[in-house]
Amino acid sequence: MKSRNTVIQPQDAERIHEILTHFLDDSGAAEALVIDRGGQLLAMDGDAQALDAVSISALAAAAFSSTAAMAQLLGEPEFSVLFHEGTKRSIHVSTVDDETILLAIFDQRTTVGMVRLFAVEASRAIGSVLGAARARPKPAAEFAAPLNDTEARPAWTPPS
Amino acid sequence: MSIINYANRIIDFKIVYYGPGLAGKTANLQYIHRCLPNANRGNMISLATGDDRTIYFDFLPVSAVTVRGFQTRFQLYTVPGQVQYNATRRLVLRGADGLVFVADSQFERLRENVESFRNLEANLHEYESTLDEIPYVLQYNKRDLPNLAPVTYLEFVLNRRTSRVPFFEASAIEGKGVFDTLNTVSRMALASEFGVERERRHEVS
Repeated sequence: MKSRNTVIQPQDAERIHEILTHFLDDSGAAEALVIDRGGQLLAMDGDAQALDAVSISALAAAAFSSTAAMAQLLGEPEFSVLFHEGTKRSIHVSTVDDETILLAIFDQRTTVGMVRLFAVEASRAIGSVLGAARARPKPAAEFAAPLNDTEARPAWTPPS
Repeated sequence: MSIINYANRIIDFKIVYYGPGLAGKTANLQYIHRCLPNANRGNMISLATGDDRTIYFDFLPVSAVTVRGFQTRFQLYTVPGQVQYNATRRLVLRGADGLVFVADSQFERLRENVESFRNLEANLHEYESTLDEIPYVLQYNKRDLPNLAPVTYLEFVLNRRTSRVPFFEASAIEGKGVFDTLNTVSRMALASEFGVERERRHEVS
């Protein structure tokens, strides 16, 4: 399926923040990450600032895609949940929509059942926000004019 | 595809290094990781076998220039080149905003280069996409080795689509051509967000 550009406006980010805050409060999870299935982080909340969230996003998207591919080999459309249990912290990954997943990190203060229960509700709400965001045309303002030579300069200088 | 976030004024791009096994895709990322200051790069992750062959992907996030108030970030991935890993190769390709095809310049690897290029086209097709839609460049790597195919021959074999793309001679292990490749593909991906694909035409002319 063809991927679409995602443009997140401030009001989308605020709405997703509210949803994740509720999700963390209700489920007892410590951190929540919304991740594009291509591996890019869309939003995060909780104590996630202490994590290497960019790397976790890439790895979680890859792991979830792998399980989806395995599911298809079994004739299943998808395994909708991926759960990794650790000694102190665990990871729960679930489907938001065709292009997005929700990752929750939690510890012994809650259970996988609680996380799973509230992840369903949060995923539905996040999917609705992202669906509306993707349906909107790309804002023209900053993107209307082509890059000028200064803007198109090489980003990195190789070592001499 | 790219993620434009107005809330934190960041644009994220995904660049995938594709090519046959042992062509030097991982060596490109390792050199970039070694050379960029910590402020401009994150951790490099390599999912490899015990003998350092990529089994799933390598991953390196790098940050770049600010354009029109947006910080630009590029997530660099490699695919596993070995033929049997096509399922994972296809997964890594998902959502790519730019591609680097890393070819092995040695004569005896020409067939693998061509097969890998065709495999790239086939995997893009699975995502209802084509090389006409995604900015890409060619890198002719391992120019430091003997028994090299001439660049004109590699061009004839690999750069023969309707619209020719930029190519770079490289020795990734020594760093030659690595940043030229990265700078060009990242500019092409960036330019494609701003309405026209000026960069592709500009580089070839």
